[in-house]
Parts: sequence; C-alpha cells; structure tokens
Amino acid sequence: MKKLMALALACLMVLLASCGGGKTAGDPLADKDVADMSFEEMKQAARGTTVTFYGWGGDELLNQWLDDVFAPRMKEKYDITMERVPMDIDQVLSQLSGEIQAGEQDGSIDMIWINGENFQSAKENGMLYGPFADRLPSFQDYIDVSSEDVTLDFAYPIEGYEAPYGKAQMVLIADTAVTPDLPHDTDELMQFVKDHPGKVTYPALPDFTGSVFVRNVIYDICGYEQFLDMEPDKQTVKAAIEPALEYLRQLNPYLWNEGRTFPESSTAVDNMFADGELVLNMTYEAYSPTVKIENGTYTPTTQTFQFDKGTIGNTNFMAIAANSGNKAGAMVAINEMMTPEVQADRYRVLKVLPVVDYEKLSDGQKAAFDAVELGAGSIPQDELLAKRLPEMPAELVPVIEQIWLEEVVGK
Amino acid sequence: MRRKRIWSGALLTAGAAVILLPMLVMLVWVFTERWAWPALWPQTFSLRAVREVLHRTGQLAGVLASSVGISLAVAALSVLIGLMTARAIVLYDFPGRGAAVFFTSLPLMVPVTVFAMGVQVTFIRLGLNNTVHGVIIAHLLYSLPYAVYLLTDGTRALGVGLEEQARVLGASGLCAFRKVTLPLLTPVLLAAFSMAYIVSFSQYFLTLLLGGGQVKTFTMVMVPYLQGGERNIASVYSAIFLAVTFLLLVLFEKLARRWMRHGGGNFYG
Repeated sequence: MKKLMALALACLMVLLASCGGGKTAGDPLADKDVADMSFEEMKQAARGTTVTFYGWGGDELLNQWLDDVFAPRMKEKYDITMERVPMDIDQVLSQLSGEIQAGEQDGSIDMIWINGENFQSAKENGMLYGPFADRLPSFQDYIDVSSEDVTLDFAYPIEGYEAPYGKAQMVLIADTAVTPDLPHDTDELMQFVKDHPGKVTYPALPDFTGSVFVRNVIYDICGYEQFLDMEPDKQTVKAAIEPALEYLRQLNPYLWNEGRTFPESSTAVDNMFADGELVLNMTYEAYSPTVKIENGTYTPTTQTFQFDKGTIGNTNFMAIAANSGNKAGAMVAINEMMTPEVQADRYRVLKVLPVVDYEKLSDGQKAAFDAVELGAGSIPQDELLAKRLPEMPAELVPVIEQIWLEEVVGK
Repeated sequence: MRRKRIWSGALLTAGAAVILLPMLVMLVWVFTERWAWPALWPQTFSLRAVREVLHRTGQLAGVLASSVGISLAVAALSVLIGLMTARAIVLYDFPGRGAAVFFTSLPLMVPVTVFAMGVQVTFIRLGLNNTVHGVIIAHLLYSLPYAVYLLTDGTRALGVGLEEQARVLGASGLCAFRKVTLPLLTPVLLAAFSMAYIVSFSQYFLTLLLGGGQVKTFTMVMVPYLQGGERNIASVYSAIFLAVTFLLLVLFEKLARRWMRHGGGNFYG
C-alpha cells in the first residue's frame, strides 16, 4: 500500500511541477505598443516568443509541412517557436469566445485559420484583432491588394482583419477507367447519375464541400450574378433557387441511399470514393487528388474536372485573435506565410493554389512557381482559374443550407 | 448441460469475434493505402502511415508520457476520493446522504459537451484553463462517478464485520482499515483505478476545451485524423492507443496481485 501511495504521490508531484511551464510566455509589450510598432519592431518584440496557430488538423501532409518546414524556418529566421494546435474552427471560436467573455487578456490563441461565415461572425462579435494585413510588407509587396480574392471573403469585406493563406477551388473527381464520360454541366450530371444509380452522392450540408457543390449546381442552373447582392432573406433566396431545388429533388431517387440520407462529411464521401462505393467525388482543394494518386489512395486513371460554366473558388485566410498574447509574433508569422518562397513551397509540396500575384514577382520568384509539376489528374492552373466563380455572400450560405435541409433531403 | 455449454461457447466466440475482427481489420488498415470494393484484400499496401507516425516519434513520446501521467493522477485521485465517498455513503448516516449519492452520479447524466462549455468560463476565471491541473480536475469529475459506484458496491458487499472483528481484537481504526479492509477491497480498487484511468485516457472534448490545445494528450493528436478520414494514420494511432492501454492495465493488475500477496494479505498469519 505504501508503495502504491508513494507512486501516486510521485505522479502527482511530477505533474504539479510540470504545470508551471505549460503556459506560453506572452509578449511583455501591451496592445497599444503593437498598434504603434513598425514591422521591424514587431520582429524585435517577437524574438524568443511562441506563436500558436489554431486550425483544422486532419491533413497530415499540411501538418508535417507546418511542423517540418514552416516552424524551423520561423525559428531560424526570427527565433519564433511555432506551435500548431489542431482544432476544428467551431471549437476554436467557442474557446476564443469563452476566453474573451472571461476577460482573459493574454489569450492562448494567436493565429487562426479561418474564412467565410466563421470569419464574418468572429469579426462582428469583436473576436478578431485588426486591421493588420496592410501593415505587413509581404502583403503590400506580393499580393494584389485590390483583387476581390483578397478584399472579400464570401463577399464580406475583410477590411484588413485577415491575410490570405491559400486559394481553394472546387473540382469534381472521377476515375476515367470506371466512368470515361465526365459530366460538364448539370444536364450531363443528371444523365451520369442515372447511368450509375446509387453510386453518386454529395456530403450533407452544412459540410463545406457539400455546401459548395450545391451552390455550384445553383450557379449552373440559375446563374451566379443575381446572388452577389441578394438579401439573405429566406423567401427571396428560395424563390431564386427554386429551379435548382427542383433539379436536386429529381436527382434524389438515383443517388446513394436514394437521397433519403447523405454522408455526414466530405471525408466520408472521399473514403467511399476511394473504396469504389461511389463513382464521383468532389473537393475544395483542386490539386489534392494528385497527391492521393501518388500515394495510391486513388487509381492512376483518376481525373479532376470542372463544369464548363466554372466552379466556385475562394480564399482561406489567417486572422489574429482579439486577445492574443503575442500579436507581434502572429503578424511576423503571417507575413512570412505570404512570402513568395513559402507560397511556392506550399504550391510545390502541398499543391495549394498560391495567393501571391504572379505579376508582382521577380523572374527568379516566378521560376520557382513555374518549376512546379502539378502531376497526374490535375487541371492546368490557368484553365482552372479561368473558370473560377466567386463565392456567394456569407449570409446566404446558412440560408441555403437550411432550405436544402427542408426542401431537398428525402423529398 | 452439454447444450448449455455449446450455447455459451458459441456466444463467447461471437462476442470475441465482434471485438477482435474490427481490431484485425484496423491492423490491416495500418498498412493499407487503397482497399476498394469488392476486393477481399487491399489493392495497395504502403508504409506511408507508419512512416509518418514514426517521423513524429519524439513528439509522440512526450505526448504519451504526459497523457499517461495525467490519467494516472486522475485514477489515483478517483480511487482516493471514491473510497472515502463510498465509505461515507455505506458506513455512515448523515443528513444529505441521498443528495450526496445523487450528486456523485450527476456527471454521468450531463453530456460532456454541455458540461465543458459551461465550466469553461468558470475555469478561465479561476485560472485553471489551459493548465494540466485544470484538465486533471475536469477529468476527475467524469471518472469519479465510476469509481464511486464500484467502490460503493464493493464496500457494501464487504460490510464492516471483519473490520469490527479486528477492532474487537485490539487493532486501531487505521490498522484495521489497512490490514483488513484494504486488502479485501483490492480487486475493486483495481477495477475502479482502471476504469478511471480509461475514462481519463480516452477523454477528448473536455481536454480540448479546458486544455485549450495547450495541454496535449494522446487523443488530441489522434482525433483529428479520425475526423479527417485519414484511415491508415488513424489506425496506427488507434493501435498505439490500444497497446499502451492494454500494457498499462496488465501492469496495474500485476502490481495489485503482488501487493495482495506481499503487502497486506497476510492478516491470517
């Protein structure tokens, strides 16, 4: 008994002793100072500190890149320790709102990977720090600051509260050995689905990818221009998208499980496609299928493709928590993420569409991007971007998701 | 009689198959890149997942150590508090006993997510958020009910007869508890300790929210891969999870046996 007690006590002591070092050392400079600092001063202030980066952690390739390439780079160049915290955005925002409610000044969250309606709600609830983007040299030097990919996030004005991280664009995926004829509009898609009954579906909304697929169907049938300044009023939206709703309802009887239910996430659909249970897949990360072909998850005959009228693209961003304990460090890290070298490396390793403006780069920098081989199954970048459609206003997204639940599922 | 034996044998086999088959499939997935319908066997094997996890050995060792440490502390505290609570509930009558029984089981009725969101703000005010001891306290609340249940039943089944006998023969209260009750309760203590350990070790949401991502436990690293649909990497992590839990439970049992034999089991001698 004594031994057991001693063991338990020893455990406790070790743990209590280790508690002290758990918290990130906050920057001693107050917020007001950060607001007045030049970028050089920020670098100085951030030296020796830790920056936490909160975001989705389900992509191992990205995790490794952040840990093995970006973190050592930050350590070496600026003596900043990067700490990646894998967490879904809902949980990040819930933790952040908890900390802010409780009046925590030296918050644990510094950088956040965010976009769309999450950004809008976080910004409107005062949970983000800013404006900061235009204070970063990389943002000024390499990014087309007037392009709508950078000024608007789902048609919501960013106003310097986010800096671009990477571009995404929806593409469809199919195995040409299984389905040689790929659908290039919604009419062809209807025929495609009828030819492969029970083997096509899409992730249940509000999954990001399922949601963008439905919006893409809406664009193909109803056009996209009318949505860009539409009021987020349920009746208005419903009237505008009624033809697309009718189309989706007609699709239902031929879908997986006859459209009575839909897979809960894009990752589930992805696995079902890899398993041959489905013949059509879709992703926001236009070039990620290439990586999966190389890994052997997908067959070598897998091909990505778009609708002729185009597919929806958006940008994902980095923001800073309003109560971040290390805003200077976060800004230095975000600045580094937007440099051509880092963006080119992300393009090469992760196949993420870069956010830098090609025209603003030097010849040497351009060469780094030109040298990237996109690999099997991919759509050339100029073709992909030529068929890039803008996102709808962020407020319309939850409205459409609600209407889909009421009017499409099981109907 | 024989028919009964066949039935129980079949049931046992079916039960084992239900548990073991998915585990076997999981072990195959560790090395699988592509396993498409309708093939019975994977088309593409690869060591990618194993390599990617091995690549993180250093980081993983640290996370595992802190995770096991947290869970051991939670289990030890659960047994300590649980035993005291159980003895109070079974052996003593005091006003509010019914309420005490009710409140100890309350965490089983409130969903973790609801509890975690509610307690987060309180923890931040108390400065307990994002700390190891905060996470231990939170885990404790969820593992205590199991410990209390098990130990209450154990204490009730044991009764006070033997302990009173020892007192009559001149042992002090502490001595009687130590030499008589504790050894007899060891199997139940072991069960409570293991249960509390497992509850703590597999806790995800509580750790995530109250540890704020700063307190890293094994599930914090593992769950994103489960959610992200990276099946082979998730399988590697699950295999590690199983192996570590299994080894530790065997170790607990060994230690408890040894202590029963050498420590206090000699009250007849």
